[in-house]
Amino acid sequence: MTINVNGAERSFQVDPLDRLIDVLRDQVGMKSVKEGCGTGDCGICAILVDGKLVNSCLMLAAQCDGRRVLTLEGLLGDPDMKRIQESFVVNNAAQCGFCTPAMLMASWDLARHSPKPTPDEIKVAISGILCRCTGYYQIIDSVHQACGEGAK
Amino acid sequence: MSEQVSQLLESLREKAGKGDLLYIGESIVRVDSLEKVLGKPVYTADLIPKGTVYAKLFHSSIPHGMIKRMELGVAKAHPGVLGVLTWRDIPGLNESSAILPDRQLFADSIVRSTADIMGAVVAETQPAASEAVAKVKVDYEPLPAIFDPLEALKPDAIKLHPKGNIARQMKIRKGNVEEGFSKSDVVLEKTYRTQFQDATPLEPEMGLAMPEDGGVKVIGSMQSPHHTQAAVAKVLKLPPEKVRVIQAVTGGAFGPKSDETPFDVCSTAALAAMKYRRPVFCGLDREESMVMHTKRHPFVISHKTGVTSDGMLMADESRIVGDTGAYASLGVFVIVRATFHTVGAYEVPNVKADSFLVYTDNTYTGSLRGFGGPQAIFAMESQMEELARKLGIDPLEFRMKNMLVPGKKNATSAVMDSSCGLPQCVEKVVASSDYRRKAPLYGKQRGGLRRGLGIALLMHGNSLGPEGNDYGAVHMEIHSDGTVSVGTGLTEYGTGAISGMMQVASSILGVPLARFKLERPDTSKHRESGPTVASRVVVIGGNASMIAAQKLKAKLVPLAAEMMKADADDVSIADGVAFKLSKPSVSVKWDDLVAEAYRKGVDLKDDGFFMAPAAPWDTEVGQGTPYVQYTWGALIAEVEVDTETGYYRVLGVHAAYDVGKAVNPGGVLGQIYGGTVQGLGYAMMEELLHKDGQVVNPNLGDYYIPTSMDIPAEFKAFIVEVPGPLGPFGAKIIAEPPIVLPGPAIRNAVLNATGVSVDDLPVTSEKVLMGSPKKVSTSR
Amino acid sequence: MSSLELFSPTNLDDALNFMLREDKGVAVIASGTDLIPRIRKKQVSPSVLVDISSFQNDLRYIRESGGTLRVGALTTLTDVLESPLMRDKLSALHEAAEIFGAPQVRNVATVGGNICSAASSEDLIPVFMALGAQLKLVSAKGERTVPLEGFLKGKRATKMKPSEILAEVSFEVPKGRSWTGFEKLGRRNMLIISLVSMALSLSMKDDLQTIAGARIAMNRVSDRIPALAVKTQDFLVGKRVTTETIAQAQKILGSELALTSDFRASGSYRTEVAQVYLKRLLLRCSGRIRGSG
Repeated sequence: MTINVNGAERSFQVDPLDRLIDVLRDQVGMKSVKEGCGTGDCGICAILVDGKLVNSCLMLAAQCDGRRVLTLEGLLGDPDMKRIQESFVVNNAAQCGFCTPAMLMASWDLARHSPKPTPDEIKVAISGILCRCTGYYQIIDSVHQACGEGAK
Repeated sequence: MSEQVSQLLESLREKAGKGDLLYIGESIVRVDSLEKVLGKPVYTADLIPKGTVYAKLFHSSIPHGMIKRMELGVAKAHPGVLGVLTWRDIPGLNESSAILPDRQLFADSIVRSTADIMGAVVAETQPAASEAVAKVKVDYEPLPAIFDPLEALKPDAIKLHPKGNIARQMKIRKGNVEEGFSKSDVVLEKTYRTQFQDATPLEPEMGLAMPEDGGVKVIGSMQSPHHTQAAVAKVLKLPPEKVRVIQAVTGGAFGPKSDETPFDVCSTAALAAMKYRRPVFCGLDREESMVMHTKRHPFVISHKTGVTSDGMLMADESRIVGDTGAYASLGVFVIVRATFHTVGAYEVPNVKADSFLVYTDNTYTGSLRGFGGPQAIFAMESQMEELARKLGIDPLEFRMKNMLVPGKKNATSAVMDSSCGLPQCVEKVVASSDYRRKAPLYGKQRGGLRRGLGIALLMHGNSLGPEGNDYGAVHMEIHSDGTVSVGTGLTEYGTGAISGMMQVASSILGVPLARFKLERPDTSKHRESGPTVASRVVVIGGNASMIAAQKLKAKLVPLAAEMMKADADDVSIADGVAFKLSKPSVSVKWDDLVAEAYRKGVDLKDDGFFMAPAAPWDTEVGQGTPYVQYTWGALIAEVEVDTETGYYRVLGVHAAYDVGKAVNPGGVLGQIYGGTVQGLGYAMMEELLHKDGQVVNPNLGDYYIPTSMDIPAEFKAFIVEVPGPLGPFGAKIIAEPPIVLPGPAIRNAVLNATGVSVDDLPVTSEKVLMGSPKKVSTSR
Repeated sequence: MSSLELFSPTNLDDALNFMLREDKGVAVIASGTDLIPRIRKKQVSPSVLVDISSFQNDLRYIRESGGTLRVGALTTLTDVLESPLMRDKLSALHEAAEIFGAPQVRNVATVGGNICSAASSEDLIPVFMALGAQLKLVSAKGERTVPLEGFLKGKRATKMKPSEILAEVSFEVPKGRSWTGFEKLGRRNMLIISLVSMALSLSMKDDLQTIAGARIAMNRVSDRIPALAVKTQDFLVGKRVTTETIAQAQKILGSELALTSDFRASGSYRTEVAQVYLKRLLLRCSGRIRGSG
C-alpha cells in the first residue's frame, strides 16, 4: 500500500492492526508524532490526514492507502507554521514539549480555515489535545498572536 | 560621536548599572524551546536504535498474597521471546525503593499491591512482548487485604509489613491546646478527605539500556539520573561508574519520575541489556503507568479548632492520616510536609498535630507536585471557611486577622520575617476579584444559578527543608567559540527551571542566554546534584550556577582589564561586550576576550556547589525552622453553580504568588497557569479509583484531566516580589505552589454559592447536589 | 503477529456479498475509533475486518428529499457540524455534535459507527432516537428499514444480522409545531463521558399549547442501553406544559428509569439530573414552538 507522507509517496507492507502512528514513527522516522495514551483520549498523536486532524494512534495504516499524511516534519518550511512556532517560543508555550507537535498541527490547521481565530475558536481547535504543563493559556496566546489578532 | 554610538554606550552604562541583575526579570527564550517546536527526536522513545529488543513488565493481579507458582514456559515459548526475567535473574540486590528499603524490583514471594512488578518478558518486538505477557501464569495464595488507612491503623489490623502498618509518624506540640480550647468561644470539629491523584505526565515512563564498556548505558525519562544510577548499580551489582545514566528530554514528570518507576524500567532494561547483550527498551503504556507509578497520597485529616467570638484562632488539634499504599516511597517526607503545613498560612498559638503515614494494599503513593501541601491546605482552608461561617464573620476578614505576617509564628514556631509577602498577595487578589463588592452581593442571591467566591491562602516551605541535605552542583565551561555550556545533574522536564538557572549565570557573566548550551545530564560527566524535586532548581541550582559563573567571571575580568588597560573594578560585561565603565567606548567583544583567555591558557571551566543552610527542628515536638524560606500565595476563585444539577463552572481565578524575585517572569507565569489548571483538575474532576486494590480507571478516557474547554475564562495572575534569604536575587520556589490553592478556593466558592459543604475532593457536581457520600465524622 | 485479516473491497456489493458468505467472526470497520481500542484490549476478537471506509460516494452524504433528511452511514460528525441543513433542520443534532468527543474524533467518527457501537456511553444515540431515526440496513439479499428504538438489544448489541451493513440514517424533517432539544452532563467540558444525556422531541397540537406527542430518549436507561421513556411520553400526550404536568412527568420518569450506579455517578443522582433535564427540555421546546408559531 502507498501513503503520501509529507509530499513523498511511500510504500509499505503492513499488518491489519498496524497503527498509522507506528508506521510513521518506525518506518518513516517521523518522530514528532508522539504517543500519550494509545486509546484516542489525549490527542498527542494528532496529525493531518487528507487535510483533517486525526488521532494517528487510532488509524489503521492499512486504511490509509492512497491518502495524504502531513506531520510537523512536513511543515518545517511553511511560513505560517514558522510564525506559530516562533510565537510558541516567545510566549513560553512549550514546556515539556510533548504535546507541542500536536498543538502546532491543530493550530496550523485552524489558521488555514480561520485566519484570525479568536481565543474561543483556538480553545475549541485544541480541545482534543491534552496538555498537563501549560494550563493552555500561553498556547492560546501564542496562536492568537501568531495569527495577527495580536492584542494581548 | 554619532547618535547611534552614543545610544549604544548609554545602553551599556545602563546595563552595567544593573550589575548581576542584568537579565533577571526578563522573560527569556528557554534553551530547550527550539527543539520542542521543531519536533526534534529527543525523547527516549525517539532514540531507540536498530536491533533493540523490548522488555515488558508484568505485575500482580491481586492486591495481597503469596506467590505460589510462576508458570513462564508458555510465555517463553512465544515467538520472538528471548526470555523472561524474574527475581532469580538479579545479580545484586532485589530492591527498588527510594527511601525505606521496603520494596523489591521483582516480587519473589509476597505481593502487596496490583502495582507490584513480578518480572519482565523480553522479546524482539513490542507486540511480541505484550502478547507473551498475557501468557504468563501466576498462582497466588491470596491474603486478607486492607484498603482503608483508618482500618490499617486499628490495633487488631493485620500487619502488612514486618514492622507494622505505620511507616512514619510525626508530631507537632506547640503551646497547650487544652488551654487554647478553654479560651475559645467556638470549637469546631470536622474531617476532610482527599483522593488519589495521578500526575499524568503526557510522556509515560521509559528507559533504554545498552551494554557499554563492561557496564551499561541507560537513557531514560526521569527526574534524577544519579538516583537512577545508584538504583540500577545496586540491582546489577556493578560499581556506579559502570552504570552511566543520561536523562533524555523528558515529557513531563510532576513527581512520579523521581520515585521508583524510573528505577524499575531502567533496572529492567539494564538487566536485560547485560543478559542478552542487546539494547533494550522498557516502556510503560498509559495504563501501566497509571497503575504502577506513584500517585498523590489520599489523606484523612481531622481538625478540632478553637476560636474566639471575635475571630482569633486559639488552638488547633489535627489528626492526619496518609495512605501510602503498599510501599513508603517518598511518603516518609510527604507526611512531614503535610504536618508542618497543618494550619496553613495562619498563626495559631497552640497547635497539636499527630500524623501517620499508613500502609494499605492499594497501589503505592509518593511524590506529586505539592507533596502533602495540597492535602494539608485543603483541610485547613476548608476549616477556616467553616469557622468563618459559624462565627458570622466574612471569610476574608477572618483570614486576614489570623494570617501570617512579619513577626508572627507559624505551626513550628518559626518567626516570619520581612520576607513574608502574604499580605501583598492577598491585597492583589482582593482587588482583582472585586471581592469586597461581589461577596455581599452574592450572599443575597436568588434563583437557580448562584455565584460564589472562595478564598485560600498559601504558605509553602521552600525546597527540601527537613528532608535532608539540600545542595546543587553545576559545571560551567566557556568554549573557544564563546559559547558557554552548563552541565548539571539537575534536570529539565518542562518547568523551564533549568533555563532560569542558566539565566542567572548569563546575567552574572554578561552574556545573553542564546550563547548558552545545556548538556544532557549524564552521570559520567556531571556530579550528583541532588534530586530535581521540591521546585528547587532555580533556588538551589541557581545559587550553584551563580557561584560557577562568578568564578569564571573572576578569571575573565582581570584579563579584560589588561586588554583595555583599565582597572579591574572599572570593567563591566553586558550583552557580550566587556567595556570600561568610565569610558564605554573602550571595549572588547566577548569572543575576543575568550580567544585571549585561550591563548593565555586560562582555564575557563569551573564548578559551582551550593548547599542550603541546615534547617534545624526538634523531631519530638515538630518545632524549629524546618524551612529556610517560604513562598506565599493567595487565590480567589469565582464559580457559578447550577443548583438544580450541581454542575458548576469556574468563571475566574485571581492568583498572586510571592516568588521573591521572578528570574524569568514568563516562566513563572507558565508555572502559575499550569499548576493552577492541574490544581483545578484535582479540585473538580480527577480521581484515580481503586476497588479491592484494583485501579478502576487507569486510562485517560475515565480519568479526567482538564481540557482547554475547562479552564476559567478569566485568569488574572500576579507576581509579587518580596526577596527571600535563600535563592539567587531573593528568588523563592514557584513550580509546586500553584497546584495547592484551587482545591480549597473552589470548594469554598461552591459553599458560598450554595451553602453546601463538600468535605472530600474532588468537588463533583453530584456532591454539590447530593452532599458528600462519606459521612463527615468527628471521631479520632 | 495477529491472525486478523483486513478485507478492503472496492465496492459496496463486494462487501455485501462477502458478508453473506462469511457469517462468523466478521466485523465492519469504518473509522475504527470505537472498534480498534476494543480489539486491542481483546474485548472483541473478529477474524476479518471488512473495511467500508472507502465507500465515500455511496455512504457519505446529507440530503433532503420530500420531507426526509437522509444521512449516509459514513457521514462524519464534522460533516454533521458543518452542514447548514443539519444546523437548520435538526439543530439538536448539531448541538450534540458540538460537544461530542473532540475535533479529531469528530473528523473520523461516523454516524453509522456511533449507532452500531450501541455503547451506553454514546450520547448521540438518544438524539437520533428522539428524532425518530430510521435505519436502512442493506445486505446482498436486499434491504430493510427499521426504527432506531428497538434496534438496540443490550449492552453493545444490536439486532443487525451478520450479513447486514447500516447504510443510511433518515429523519422526518420536523414540522412547524415541533422542536427537539438536548442536554448532557459530564465531569468536564470536552472529551466527555456523559453521566446523563437526554433528548426530547416535542410536538404540539394546532393550539400550540397541548402536547401532541413526545419522544424522550436517554442513554443508559435500563440494561444500560439508550431507550425511550415510554410511560412518561404516554403521560404527556394531551397535556399542557404546566408546573403540575412537569412535576408529574418527572415523577413518572423517576419511576420508569432504572439508571445504574457506577464509579462515575450514582443512579439516584443521574435520576435527579434526568428529572431536571426533562423540565428544562419541556419548557425550552414548548417555548420555541410557541415562539415560532
